[in-house]
Amino acid sequence: MERSKRERQNESVLTPFLTKHIGDSAQLPEDTYHKYCYRHNPDVHRNKMSEVSKMVKIQQDLEQLAPEDQQAITHVWSIFSAAPNQYRRLILQGILSQCCFPTLSFVSSEVSSLIRIDFIANLPVEISLKILCYLDCASLCNAAQVCKKWKSLADDDRVWHHMCEQHIDRKCPSCGWGLPLMHMKRAREEYDQYHNRKRKIEEVDDDTDKEKKKEESDKENVAVIDKEVKKRPWKSVYSERYKVEKNWRKGLYVCREFVGHKDGITCLQFNVKYLITGSYDATIKIWDIQTGACLRTLAGHTKGIRSLVFDNQKLISCGLDSTIKVWNYHTGQCVSTYRGHEDAVVSVDFSDKTIVSGSADNTVKVWHVDSRTCYTLRGHTDWVNSVKIHSQSHTAFSASDDTTVKMWDLETHKCLKTFGGVESNGHVGQVQCVIPFTYKDKLINDVDLGNISDVDEDNDNDNEISDGGFVEIVTDPNEKNYPTHLLTSSLDNTIKVWDVKTGKCIRTQFGHIEGVWSISADTFRIVSGAHDRMIKVWDLQDGKCLHTWCGDASVSCVGLSDSKFAAGCDNGVVKLFCFD
Amino acid sequence: MSAKVVLISSDDEKFPVELKVAEKSILIKNMVLDLNPDGLEEDFEIPTPNVRATVLEKVIEWCEHHKNTVFPDEDDEDAKKSAPIDEWDKNFLKVDQEMLYEIISAANYLNIRPLLDAGCKTVAEMIRNKSPEELRKIFNIVNDFTPEEEAAIRRENEWAEDR
Repeated sequence: MERSKRERQNESVLTPFLTKHIGDSAQLPEDTYHKYCYRHNPDVHRNKMSEVSKMVKIQQDLEQLAPEDQQAITHVWSIFSAAPNQYRRLILQGILSQCCFPTLSFVSSEVSSLIRIDFIANLPVEISLKILCYLDCASLCNAAQVCKKWKSLADDDRVWHHMCEQHIDRKCPSCGWGLPLMHMKRAREEYDQYHNRKRKIEEVDDDTDKEKKKEESDKENVAVIDKEVKKRPWKSVYSERYKVEKNWRKGLYVCREFVGHKDGITCLQFNVKYLITGSYDATIKIWDIQTGACLRTLAGHTKGIRSLVFDNQKLISCGLDSTIKVWNYHTGQCVSTYRGHEDAVVSVDFSDKTIVSGSADNTVKVWHVDSRTCYTLRGHTDWVNSVKIHSQSHTAFSASDDTTVKMWDLETHKCLKTFGGVESNGHVGQVQCVIPFTYKDKLINDVDLGNISDVDEDNDNDNEISDGGFVEIVTDPNEKNYPTHLLTSSLDNTIKVWDVKTGKCIRTQFGHIEGVWSISADTFRIVSGAHDRMIKVWDLQDGKCLHTWCGDASVSCVGLSDSKFAAGCDNGVVKLFCFD
Repeated sequence: MSAKVVLISSDDEKFPVELKVAEKSILIKNMVLDLNPDGLEEDFEIPTPNVRATVLEKVIEWCEHHKNTVFPDEDDEDAKKSAPIDEWDKNFLKVDQEMLYEIISAANYLNIRPLLDAGCKTVAEMIRNKSPEELRKIFNIVNDFTPEEEAAIRRENEWAEDR
């Protein structure tokens, strides 16, 4: 009796409530977005597995109870599920206000495990991509392994193009990584394959004809390759470079040796195909950089070679016999010889139709090949060990045994600036090598490191020339595309970074224990070779030494590319360190 | 009392806000400008049918806090990306995933770039440095790869590990 009465009472509350609210769809909005939340929206394909297992668990727990208890609990649920939104809130608020903290704690952990949203799959694509663009490459690669939808978004070309833009040929400000440009690497490889096939057919043609045909086929070829290159996913562009950079950072490399010269190596340069070396044995050797085979030996200089530089067509060398020679290194023919220096020519560089040379006669000479004129730049008081043309600003830089570096205008042939002296924190030993470069971001300098106090930056234009009021006085060196900085190495065991605008040394890198004969640099690194038999790799931006290798002979010359560096030693051996 | 912009949520709740605050939303700013070329003379109602009241309240709270903030140039991608999330925003966005999801959607719909950026960065931080398994757990995702596919994809992405 008691029971049925209670039941009736119950029903008297329950039934009208249910009849009133169930199926009352009038107050539900039309579209799925407003009708359903993320959890119940049938358009959202989420992980529903966990919910099913939870329902099974609830069912089992319920069945453990006495039938009347089961019924009571089911009533609570029915009322709740029939209630419209604002009632549900009211019911929940009432229930929550009765809960003590342990129960609330249970609620809170249940709730946080229930509200889980797959942002990447459910937000509009452009927002998902935006989120992914904030990630680093390791996190992106993990995201790509989550599920199919995530993979398609985390591998998206737009995300990786953005990654490439942030990292290739520049240092990313957020993660400190920069990746090598490796310009046209793939195009070159495919071009080479194609070209090798082509060459076999053309072998019968005479030389000039061949040149012409080659140019034509080059053009077609590049067009074809361009198309193919564009199809390549940016992620693979990124990963290829990332692997190289990782090897650089970890110091993982393969070393190749080039043995053949009979005396110490004095100079070297390499590109993707060739390594060209000069030696005190008076010869120049051209090596296949991939196989290590010596392709050709150029003989003609009567004494040791001291410097060389080459491009795709020609090679220019100079040596102790006081001459400069221009070679067609593909045929081995010496095209011309320049005489004029009164002593050994120890450094040479060229750009377009201008050759610049530095000599033991303390002068720098500028040779204009087309007009067959030669200018002599005087100012150094000792050997000129290194010359570099900076073609964008039409200037040249020379480093000398007199411990200074000079900057010359190649139009007026005047000295624009001298870098050196105690007041500029200059070298105290013979300067062996100079490299002009432009760095847009901030280079870490000695002031940042607290090594020296700040030097005043006035009298910028002290050394600026004004020739009879005719020459425009340039107040901002950048206007003339001058390089922003110089790198120099010296027998005082240091490497220095100079600010071209102020003419002062802004950073000194210590670490070598004997004179630094040679340095080479790119956007990220400096490699240096010294008399102490050590080769060091430095970070260009902060000047920290990243790696040191100790060899068995003094290192006289080094060369650097995106993925390799070469070091020429006094014992006649060249070592090539490959990081790709 | 100057005239206000009255935002109406999808569930018909009305939120009167200062013009300066409402203007953080470029959508609303343009709407006010287009329909009141001579300036706001009386309260101006704008329905936001995609935003629930609870979310709209949060969004307005954000706009209120940032009404005097000058945000960096939108074109400066680098500055935007490398900048960490503003400390206040970080706390503001310490909400459950549902609320975060709705705030991001609302910021997108209302065109509030700095809030959208902060929301996206918050989600990115939830993803950063997590293993695929952890990610599935955090976002309640089913692994729909076959074991073979999964192994292949792991190999494909191995290069990024252990840097």
